[in-house]
Amino acid sequence: MLHILQAGDASASERVLQAMFAARKSVFVDLLKWNVPVVAGTYEIDRFDDSDAMYLVLTDAEGNHLGSARLLRTDRPHILGGFYPELCAGSVPSGPNVREVTRFCLDRRLKATDRRAVRDTLVCALADHALEHDIDTYSAIAQMGWFQQILAFGWRCRPLGLPQHRDGALLAALRIDIDEQTPALLRAAGLVPKAGLPAGDLRAAA
Amino acid sequence: MQLHAMALQFARIVEAAADADELGRALHAMTEELGFQYFALTHHVDLLEMGEGAIRLHNYPSSWADYYDAQALGLSDPVHRASHVTGAGFCWSQMPRMIPLTASDRQILALGREQGIGDGFTVPTNVPGEARGSCSFASEAGRPIDTPKLPLAQLAGVYAFEAARRLWSGRGYRDEAAPQLTDRQRDCVLWVARGKGDWEIGRILGVSEETVARHIKQACARYGVSKRTLLTIRALFDGTLSFTDIFRR
Repeated sequence: MLHILQAGDASASERVLQAMFAARKSVFVDLLKWNVPVVAGTYEIDRFDDSDAMYLVLTDAEGNHLGSARLLRTDRPHILGGFYPELCAGSVPSGPNVREVTRFCLDRRLKATDRRAVRDTLVCALADHALEHDIDTYSAIAQMGWFQQILAFGWRCRPLGLPQHRDGALLAALRIDIDEQTPALLRAAGLVPKAGLPAGDLRAAA
Repeated sequence: MQLHAMALQFARIVEAAADADELGRALHAMTEELGFQYFALTHHVDLLEMGEGAIRLHNYPSSWADYYDAQALGLSDPVHRASHVTGAGFCWSQMPRMIPLTASDRQILALGREQGIGDGFTVPTNVPGEARGSCSFASEAGRPIDTPKLPLAQLAGVYAFEAARRLWSGRGYRDEAAPQLTDRQRDCVLWVARGKGDWEIGRILGVSEETVARHIKQACARYGVSKRTLLTIRALFDGTLSFTDIFRR
């Protein structure tokens, strides 16, 4: 099930957001060892998780987190513009039609095949969301291994500058151009939303 | 031209490439631009055995290519192994700091030098669910690497490999390369990888020991292997299982 949420949304989505922040802590802090703030020892929440942030969250039928991504407006402070502008050879993409995709997160409890199903569904949801909301460009920062995967999704993706070593990793900034052809490009690369997302077995797997 | 602009131009060209020859020409031009002489774009599989299915595109001198094939280096090549421990491109001279090199590895590298293979730069490429691969740029021994251009080599490798995936998938690579296991077969293989025997796996999954043995036998058949060690390795190799699956607590 896809949830499109903003922080401070009605209480029904509070649980979905909390589960997402906990999953982010598990992935980005525990697994990837990112040096980012943790709230109450459980939730990875930073200064960009404010009322302007938008979240795409996939859950199973019981509301357990499967995957999520955070979209930041680029006409206000965001990560690429604020912390990594030197990753862009030219100006940092910004404006009302540009969103920065951050914290793309696949739940650690997913098995390899389910991870791919959740990933594909989330990527297709990102493209649909952009088309529905007049977003023509996504920007993002990626390590090179992840860059290769983003490119393999089949959509139009370009480096914004040369990759650079930062924080012990080789990082590159990229832009993804979204237009009405994007869904067909994703399909051609084999990315389709998967109806049969894992349901209910996450707790047992964890 | 600025390096970033060259990367964009290269991305455009290889995305439009209609066949492997066009991609090869673009890579050849980029290789010279980068100050290297040779490139090799390849899946990390036994190329003689995989044949047409696996990506393989290079302009190595024939003595180098014969040498690689004869050594079956598709799988045991230390350069390929090193590219499995990093997502970022690396110079071959860095390898001893990346992976443990056995006596045989050192011999392989020494033999390569005898064939005139000098230093190179390898961009690892890993798309989950598919065989790992890489794009390497290399020169004859004695030719220095143009370090400031390596970030461009990194991007060129990434885009070239993606272009090759697109071109090769038209040949049905993905269908042939990865045998499909059923969920139950995969569950059994996962527990084999975690060191469990059939009886234990049966208890964990709530089925009989005989059923587990049958699932594993059938999974072995799908991969065309007869030993369960090989089965787990093949499943890890093509992404049917991941290391995270096995070590997850």
